[in-house]
Amino acid sequence: MTALLILFITAIVVLFVGLTNRKWLQPLALLGTLLALGATGYDLLGPGFGWGNEYASMFRFMPFAHAFSGVAILATALIIGLSGWGFRNLNATLGDHYGLILFSLCGALVMFSFTNMTMLFLGIEILSIPLYVLAGSRRDDPAGNEAALKYFLMGAFATGILLFGMTLVYGATASFDLASISRAIGNGDQMSGMLKVGILLMIVGLSFKVSAVPFHFWAPDVYQGSPNLITAFMATVVKTAGFAAFYRLFAIAFPGAEAFWSLPIAMIAALTMTLANTTALFQKDFKRMMAYSSISHAGYLLLAVLAIGSTGADQALLFYSLTYSLATICAFGVYIAVAEPSGDGTFAAFNGLSKKQPLLAAVLALSMLSLAGIPPLAGFFGKYFLFTAAFAKYPWLIVLAVINSAISIYYYFKIIIAMYFSREESAGEVVLPMGVRWAVMLGLLLIALLTLAPGSVYGLI
Amino acid sequence: MSLIFILIPFIASAILLLLRPGGSRSIALFAALANLAATAYCLCCDYSQGMNCTYSVPWVASAGISFSLGMDGITLIMLVLTNLLTPLIIVSSWGRRFDNEPRYYGLLLLMLGALNGVFLAQDGLLFYVFYELALIPIYFICAIWGGQDRIRVTLKFFIYTFVGSLFMLVALLWVYLQTPGNHSFAWADLVAVQLSPAAANWVLLGFFLAFAVKMPVFPLHTWQPDTYVTSPTGGTMLLSGIMLKMGAYGMIRWMIPLAPEAMHILNPIFISLAVFGIIYASIIAVKQSDIKRLVAYSSIAHVGLIAAGILAWNKAGVQGGIIQMLNHGINVVGLFFIVDLLERRLGTRSLADMGGIAKSAPKFAALFMIIVLGSLAVPLTNGFPGEFLLLNGIWNYNFWLGVLAGLTIIFGAVYMLRAYGLVVFGETKTETANFEDVNSREFLVLGIIAGLVLVLGFFPQSVLGLTEESVERILRAVQL
Repeated sequence: MTALLILFITAIVVLFVGLTNRKWLQPLALLGTLLALGATGYDLLGPGFGWGNEYASMFRFMPFAHAFSGVAILATALIIGLSGWGFRNLNATLGDHYGLILFSLCGALVMFSFTNMTMLFLGIEILSIPLYVLAGSRRDDPAGNEAALKYFLMGAFATGILLFGMTLVYGATASFDLASISRAIGNGDQMSGMLKVGILLMIVGLSFKVSAVPFHFWAPDVYQGSPNLITAFMATVVKTAGFAAFYRLFAIAFPGAEAFWSLPIAMIAALTMTLANTTALFQKDFKRMMAYSSISHAGYLLLAVLAIGSTGADQALLFYSLTYSLATICAFGVYIAVAEPSGDGTFAAFNGLSKKQPLLAAVLALSMLSLAGIPPLAGFFGKYFLFTAAFAKYPWLIVLAVINSAISIYYYFKIIIAMYFSREESAGEVVLPMGVRWAVMLGLLLIALLTLAPGSVYGLI
Repeated sequence: MSLIFILIPFIASAILLLLRPGGSRSIALFAALANLAATAYCLCCDYSQGMNCTYSVPWVASAGISFSLGMDGITLIMLVLTNLLTPLIIVSSWGRRFDNEPRYYGLLLLMLGALNGVFLAQDGLLFYVFYELALIPIYFICAIWGGQDRIRVTLKFFIYTFVGSLFMLVALLWVYLQTPGNHSFAWADLVAVQLSPAAANWVLLGFFLAFAVKMPVFPLHTWQPDTYVTSPTGGTMLLSGIMLKMGAYGMIRWMIPLAPEAMHILNPIFISLAVFGIIYASIIAVKQSDIKRLVAYSSIAHVGLIAAGILAWNKAGVQGGIIQMLNHGINVVGLFFIVDLLERRLGTRSLADMGGIAKSAPKFAALFMIIVLGSLAVPLTNGFPGEFLLLNGIWNYNFWLGVLAGLTIIFGAVYMLRAYGLVVFGETKTETANFEDVNSREFLVLGIIAGLVLVLGFFPQSVLGLTEESVERILRAVQL
């Protein structure tokens, strides 16, 4: 709650400062997020502020919410760190950008802590609406406009379906409160048709939000068309928030109905990993490849939802979200330094990067290896924890996931091959701005820390 | 103590990769020699009471994963192999100019640390992590400094081995989830699990896939000849001399102990594949005209014999497998060094373009002969006791398989002596007339290898004695 307030106040301050000043916006936004991170850390690891953790049975900040807030705020802080370079060409709207990103983050925090379906809905909307604007923030770019419109239409559509599902669940259980819904469902042997349809519709709505197959088709275009840092935000914070909410809803409200929802989600997970990974093989554009990669990771993350009830499912989700977010942000940080000046977003832009900028090449290589889940990098432990949690329930799905991680090597390695093994060099000059250098170094340091001591995060909640 | 084997190479590698100092070759050699000294120290420890020099700290405590290392006689021989060959590999790369030398030697040391980790790991997940970690540096070494078509070949190699290991991970996870309580990856806990017959089959198969790809065992060998031929010589030496031993070692330490319940069902298939691979690879080797490819196929044959001996799971077979791992490592590194010498001086690897080198380079011819004799397993060379024990072990398992595996000696004589004859004797060609004899650095490497071939041939008991108790202990603990 403290973190939420800090972020909210920072967002408003940034909005007003942005009217007259440009220079102080990034430091202000960074300061706000770091303060919020500190507050979250104090709540999670220290004695805690001890107030405002619960509000009118609408939300409750427990270790689960604090830990996920930490992941989302950390990811946002890194993105703001990159933004000095990433937003350098923006004109008057710079203040709005930081304000909207922070408002969106507030929505994510609500999604980590809701105990009532109303708050879930509000959280999703607070998260999404700023993003509809941000996706189209390059007003003169047709691809950006297309992305924004697609994102908005699909988002609105998904919210509609989600709301419809909530209504039916409310109709069947007479409550919006997660705990009461769980009590009403009991052990799930007397579920009405209305409840079943309601749960299915909520699965569909949330699948849209986390871009799981077959509800993913908006993602590649939106990821590719949006400004780079906004894409990074969508791929990390939005995804983390979506999955934490998905997990929370099903773990608190619907555990009794598991026999009903488990198989559909397992099918969605299987489809998501397989389709996204095989499609990613054929991409030539970095951002599009990252879009499919992010969809495939949604497939793995669904394993955490399937593992609800097994020990370590929430830990695995937390660890995976963190490693995935760090690696993705590092990758985007390198991408904006490499591809933005030359305007070339294909893999060829990375040719010979290891000679031009060894640091950037090393960061991107390690991020790719981590995303591919190659031991001993942090991404491997993320996959390992997820797979272990879900193994007992769905052995076949784990085997499929394992095969998929092998497929994913192929496209992640294309970047590494371009950077290190290609004997031709891309034409463009590569710059290494200060903000990018510090943000990716910090990201890399955190990945290294998670690699050496996975226990520092796994076991926190 | 055992932590040193991992820390020295990793720290040196980090220095080389991050700081890019000058004189990287010397730093790498110094680190490798420090490791060799540590190995020499460990030769004097006592291994009769089980694991010695253990080191254990919790890694992910809540998931029962610990960073635990330990040594017994079997591990010790593998450490000798790794830490003896790495300095030789570094010295043999000495003459070559690489672009970005710190990176090359940094990756090489990273590989050294990971290999030592594989052999020392006493925790299932730690073993897996090191096993995979070893793959990353060798992939980069082969793909950056490799020859023609290197990107395609090395990616095939990477995906092949990575997929194989993923099956091992699934198998390992399955056993882990059967451990009582909060689950544990400790070796003793994993071995104590009683698997159901169906599960045991799958677990054994998962491990076998991983190790059979790595060694490689027929029919999972198709990545190997291309990769060996394409890699830079240092990479080929690492792959053939040390890395494939990870597979054989994994069979002894992890595969068979974890799922002995399924051995009587699946082992006849595994061991037949291994023996078939010996004959198959030998026949192909006889027909090769490219000398590097010939050595690559001969390696498949030799490793097939090691695998078959280990799978026979009796004292002669396992002990033979262990000392043969050491001997094969020494011989194959020598052979690839000779191939590299020939290629650099003649600009070709084709046997048809060679001949008559004995006249212009007598020292080279003599050292080459000793190493060839070692790989032929002639008595009083290092290959003999190993192959003798291996064949004895296979023979005890099944008479006819033993006879078939014995063909390896005949085939080996055919293809190695043919290659030797074509290179060293025969008519002198214009290219080979001015063949320069070995210089002092090359003489040092080949001399050490030839010396080891003879010393280990005269005194096989020095190695056998080190492993005997450990082998007996593991055979007692894991009875089929």
